Amino acid sequence: MKVMLLRWAVVVLLAYFFVPWLFGANAYLMSLIVASLVIGGVALAWALLGNLGGMISFGHSAFFGVGAYVSALLAINADFPIWLAMVCGGIGALLVSVLMLPTLRLKGPYFAIAILAYAQIFRIIATEWRSLTNGVAGLSSIPSLPAVLWWESGSKISSYLIVVTLVFAFILVYRWVANSHYGLALRAMHESEDATRVVGVNSTLLKAAMLLLSACMTGMIGAFNAHYINFLEPDYAFGGVWIVIPIVAAIFGGYRTIWGPLVGAVVVYLVDQLLFKNIFPSGHQIILGIILVVMILFSPGGLLPLLTVRTRKRTC
Amino acid sequence: MLEIRNLEAGYGPINVLWDVSLSIAEGRVTTIIGPNGAGKTTLLRAIVGLLQPRKGEILFRDRPIHGMAPWHLLEAGIAMIPEGRMIFRDMTVEDNLILGAFPKARRAGVARNLERAYTLFPRLRERRRQLAGTLSGGEGQMLAMARGLMSEPQLLLIDEPSLGLAPVIVNELFEIIADLKAEGRTIVLVEQNTHKAVGVADEVYLMLSGKVAWSAPARDVDLAVLHDLYFSR
Repeated sequence: MKVMLLRWAVVVLLAYFFVPWLFGANAYLMSLIVASLVIGGVALAWALLGNLGGMISFGHSAFFGVGAYVSALLAINADFPIWLAMVCGGIGALLVSVLMLPTLRLKGPYFAIAILAYAQIFRIIATEWRSLTNGVAGLSSIPSLPAVLWWESGSKISSYLIVVTLVFAFILVYRWVANSHYGLALRAMHESEDATRVVGVNSTLLKAAMLLLSACMTGMIGAFNAHYINFLEPDYAFGGVWIVIPIVAAIFGGYRTIWGPLVGAVVVYLVDQLLFKNIFPSGHQIILGIILVVMILFSPGGLLPLLTVRTRKRTC
Repeated sequence: MLEIRNLEAGYGPINVLWDVSLSIAEGRVTTIIGPNGAGKTTLLRAIVGLLQPRKGEILFRDRPIHGMAPWHLLEAGIAMIPEGRMIFRDMTVEDNLILGAFPKARRAGVARNLERAYTLFPRLRERRRQLAGTLSGGEGQMLAMARGLMSEPQLLLIDEPSLGLAPVIVNELFEIIADLKAEGRTIVLVEQNTHKAVGVADEVYLMLSGKVAWSAPARDVDLAVLHDLYFSR
């Protein structure tokens, strides 16, 4: 317990104090860190469904995009305060996932494919509903994120502080679910849904709740991102990158751990942008692919278990 | 305690149970025997709500329960120890047991029921931190039974506990079933080991091809006659 509190204290101190203090002046680095946290947030939300719930989703781009559009439109057209608009973005994504509930009747790859197809519906709506979304031209001058403390609205540091808080909140939600009775039931559900029903778990309701929660979290991150970059177009907001990168991050970091998806996202994205992009300006993603394959071959549990095994060996 | 009337159930276009009626008395052990494919497991699945019956009714304490969800039935007091054990192999023995008491109303009694489970199955206490997948077949069956008891069921359905187990373990399991019977529990036991099953039972039903072919109080059962019926198809 003490060790855990200490670890939290260190992480919180690092996140809220050292990162802005050390890198705050470097706008490029800060923007990379914020972008990596956005991916980390989606990866966490994805892992809540994919790891805890055992449902591999290829449809999180729909939640991300809908969250982004709902929040942006409410802020532009209805002058919603940004905080409220972001919450509404989360709720919008949640409502979308309610429409998606029938896919939960499918299992494994069938669920993944159905949700992938379903996600496209929303990209098409965003493209074609020109009167509302301005079609492929997209939305520009989306209001910026609010100011935090003495850092002005839309500045890198204030954006960073908002997204880091959001991600910490996700970690807490994830932990709470994973350690609760429901986390136990979700783990059991991987093996046999019938068996969990036999022990009295309302597996249908539990899966639905996970989908809703995951969608809501993804929507809020999408909303954050929209106000952060101030611009949206359908192919970006509903892009395949929001499907693939979080999955890569979650697997790379160790999707069976709570911190894994986040660490994976930050490491993968930063290494890719700072290192590989400089070496191979185009096609640098191929290295990510290779690293992912190597990781799956040599440490299927991901980066975090790999590190903990190493340290444990050293101590004994 | 449990009344089944004219039950029909099956999977997709295939019907398995044809007009099954039987009644289960409180505090007794009712054994259902029959060859593979007779519909014994299907009957249990229909009772606990894993399968929706097409026709007929199931009454539990005079209340219709057909069409209810499995989780509601568990709360009502019906637990099943499924065929093939269905333990959660990637979880510890203790987590498996805790899941057995999942319904909200049962969570308060977890500590007490855990202790009782370990007293009944001392081997599980030794292995409580071990992953359930590493248990032997017999231990796995004990875990499945202990998990079923965690919800303090009024009616316990046990599906082929002896499946794939060594005779010594089977004897041990039937001793435990006899103990549960002595506690006054209501048990429905589905078995292929007719000799053992009839030995522990109060009431015997024989199912053949989705129908109840024959029934009798256990003390009147002549195993030779029963075996003739069993193989008469």
